[in-house]
Amino acid sequence: MKQLSERIKEAAFGSLSSGQVEMVIGWQKGPLWWQSFPAFITDPGETASLIWDPFSVSNLNKYLLNEVPKKKIALFLKGCDALGFNQLLRDGRVEREKVLLFGIPCDGLVDPARVEATGLSKGLLQVKKEREELVFYYKEGQRKAPARDFYYSKCLSCRYPNPVTCDEMLGEAVPCQPLERFANVSKLEAASLEERFTYWSRHFSRCIRCFACRNVCPACSCRECIFDIAEPRWLGKAKESGETLFYHITRAYHVAGRCVDCGECARICPLGIPLAELNRKFIKDINELYGEYDAGADLDKEAPLLTFKSDDPDVSA
Amino acid sequence: MSVNLKQGPFEPLIIAFCCNWCSYAGGDLAGTGRMTYPANVRVIRVPCSSCVSSNFILRAFQRGADGVVVAGCHPGDCHYTSGNYFARRRFLLLQRFLEFLGMEPERFQVHWISASEGNRFAAVMTETTEKIRALGPNRKLRDTR
Amino acid sequence: MKKITKEKLALFWELLARRATLYLPLQEDGVVNFAPWKNGARVNLRENSLVPPKNVFFPQAETYLRFQTGAKKLQLESLEPEEEFILFGVRPCDVASFTILDKVFLEEPVDGLYAKRRRLGTLVSLGCNEPGETCFCTSFELEPAFAPGADVMVWDMGEFLLWEAQSEKGDELTAKINELLDEAAPEESASALSLRNTTAAGEAAAGCQQEWNTAGLQEVLRGKFNVELWEKLYHRCLGCGICTYLCPTCHCFDIQDFSRGLEGERFRCWDSCMFAEFTLMASGENPRPTQKERVRQRFLHKLLYFPSKYGLYACVGCGRCVRKCPVHLDITQVMEPIK
Ligand code: SF4
Ligand code: SF4
Ligand code: SF4
Ligand code: SF4
Ligand code: SF4
Ligand code: FES
Repeated sequence: MKQLSERIKEAAFGSLSSGQVEMVIGWQKGPLWWQSFPAFITDPGETASLIWDPFSVSNLNKYLLNEVPKKKIALFLKGCDALGFNQLLRDGRVEREKVLLFGIPCDGLVDPARVEATGLSKGLLQVKKEREELVFYYKEGQRKAPARDFYYSKCLSCRYPNPVTCDEMLGEAVPCQPLERFANVSKLEAASLEERFTYWSRHFSRCIRCFACRNVCPACSCRECIFDIAEPRWLGKAKESGETLFYHITRAYHVAGRCVDCGECARICPLGIPLAELNRKFIKDINELYGEYDAGADLDKEAPLLTFKSDDPDVSA
Repeated sequence: MSVNLKQGPFEPLIIAFCCNWCSYAGGDLAGTGRMTYPANVRVIRVPCSSCVSSNFILRAFQRGADGVVVAGCHPGDCHYTSGNYFARRRFLLLQRFLEFLGMEPERFQVHWISASEGNRFAAVMTETTEKIRALGPNRKLRDTR
Repeated sequence: MKKITKEKLALFWELLARRATLYLPLQEDGVVNFAPWKNGARVNLRENSLVPPKNVFFPQAETYLRFQTGAKKLQLESLEPEEEFILFGVRPCDVASFTILDKVFLEEPVDGLYAKRRRLGTLVSLGCNEPGETCFCTSFELEPAFAPGADVMVWDMGEFLLWEAQSEKGDELTAKINELLDEAAPEESASALSLRNTTAAGEAAAGCQQEWNTAGLQEVLRGKFNVELWEKLYHRCLGCGICTYLCPTCHCFDIQDFSRGLEGERFRCWDSCMFAEFTLMASGENPRPTQKERVRQRFLHKLLYFPSKYGLYACVGCGRCVRKCPVHLDITQVMEPIK
């Protein structure tokens, strides 16, 4: 990882100082061990503050919606981020010529909650990755543990750890060993109708409608979102089960066929609502009904909801 | 507004979005042909089945519908050539999704009914009404206020 | 001082719940939130809740008016909270947040809904044995294990909870459940004081890990409306509502109507200065056109405008925004560089 973070700094410095780009978006480190966050750098002198560590999970491509019209921008993409970038491109929301992409092969990032669950977080100062292991640093020494035990679930089922698109790849390709991503969907499908309803009602009842899941999503890129429109107000502001269901059905349905399964929405939800299962239900059904389709990766295939076949399965059965 | 709020045995409220060119005309034919279908069905005319947004369907449920039907021209016969082909994909996904969330699949149905199928219109609406009557009132997506 | 042994807790909840609605920190799907206790619920007294208990006094949405038209006259019916409740397990930082909300809602014009809920509720605070990694309440002169604003103060001493009433309401509640309480031995009572001292000292692992010098912060911030800091900070903000909805002191709301046919209701609901829509006017004009103005508003409101008006910071150092902002644009990120 050390090496990769050096290459990130170099790439940022090079592209900024040569005048090729006006801004670089990468990650910086906060004061606590798990805080790595998006950084926007315009001064080549500041590129040394960029980092790559096991917590550089924030997806940077969505920021292009705010920044790109003004300038050319360099940004770093992990595997999942590259899929999202492609989707933004496909939805006509970014211009390819205005971005310089550096790819980062990424075999998984660390979920702070999993570190906390093991008790390793007490007094923890820093976490570094060394090959397949994480090294935990404390005042009084260090401890090691297998890295994969701490990865985000989105990383454990990641099928594109190596960016499918970029201008320059920083680092060697990593192997890919994804867990079955539809396991939870299948389990729910096997449950009874009432069990499913109870399950989702319980989860949705926690939703505070902060819209973080929408705001982070590279497939949610409408200039004006239906949830923000006041007149007519499709989504009311009451804390009411029907409203919450309306939100969740509509969010997932709007990204059906475009969701790249980057897992950002589920990762970011502060209330731990299993949003991935909603998105993956659509992905699974699309694959079964209309043929395998990987949004963000299958660029040569037509988007499944923007096309049809005359002998598609019928809905009136 | 809801029929269900009235006293007496449960009477389902069914909202039917019918495309102007086929299904709505089919409904008309059912009327002029003096075929009967239940008054539980409230027809809303739309230009094409593909114009029916998920918002309309969900809103109908929120505001008291016990069942929602979208009806359009038979695949291949859409007045706008291919609208219903697109709609067919979208609605199949939506139907399966609602079921995934725990809604009874019978509550949201899609049917292809041509302008000449007055009989079929009446039959579909009657059958749907009976199915939903058997299921009872919809509470799952319903606004509790 | 009284005490209650932990084996009696299940009975204790049942007894309390019989007196009034009992809100406890309950764990569900790994998330801890305050909710009415029901038999079989999983009580978690170790972690603070994710959503702050402000939602008990100031719910995310509350209907206060029903209306009906159609008859000759418009018919109106106002609704008021009626239910007595006990809010148990509130951490001292969150208790302090009610002092802040009180300033907003209890000064003239008094907010009837909030005031009524404050009257109906009995507040039982649970001291923190070990402030979390992101806690910094001591920076606002609060104590991790003591909440002067609570009706009852409770400390978790391992085998038992210590219980001390601090107000009339607290005495009343104590009298009602006296059968389950024992008198604490003097050395047991003393242990509460030593817990207070070690956690407040900010020493090593026992105290708050983060200390901020907030004295004079307000003065420093004056005249910082147009500094480059905001330009630097705002880019990464996602404009979600996490920081404001999870903040125990955020109190902005919106008023909305819901109607069906000839009848309907009016409710108020949380709103967030981080949303673009928050300041959007009917004309289409938005005085806070970008996330920069919104981010600045959130922090200046907490650290400058509010203290200028009411004499105290609108942050209690609960650390929720530190923990949950997905891009770590939390309040400490402003307090650091501004100094
Ligand atoms: S991020 Fe979670 S809590 Fe926020 S709106 Fe989405 S599902 Fe609801
Ligand atoms: S819906 Fe979620 S998983 Fe799908 S693209 Fe959006 S953020 Fe990624
Ligand atoms: S939820 Fe729907 S309307 Fe809103 S941004 Fe996403 S796709 Fe667009
Ligand atoms: S500061 Fe963080 S939590 Fe608040 S709106 Fe911005 S991204 Fe969301
Ligand atoms: S600003 Fe952050 S730390 Fe302060 S009270 Fe609000 S959520 Fe807690
Ligand atoms: S016009 Fe009837 S379905 Fe398109």
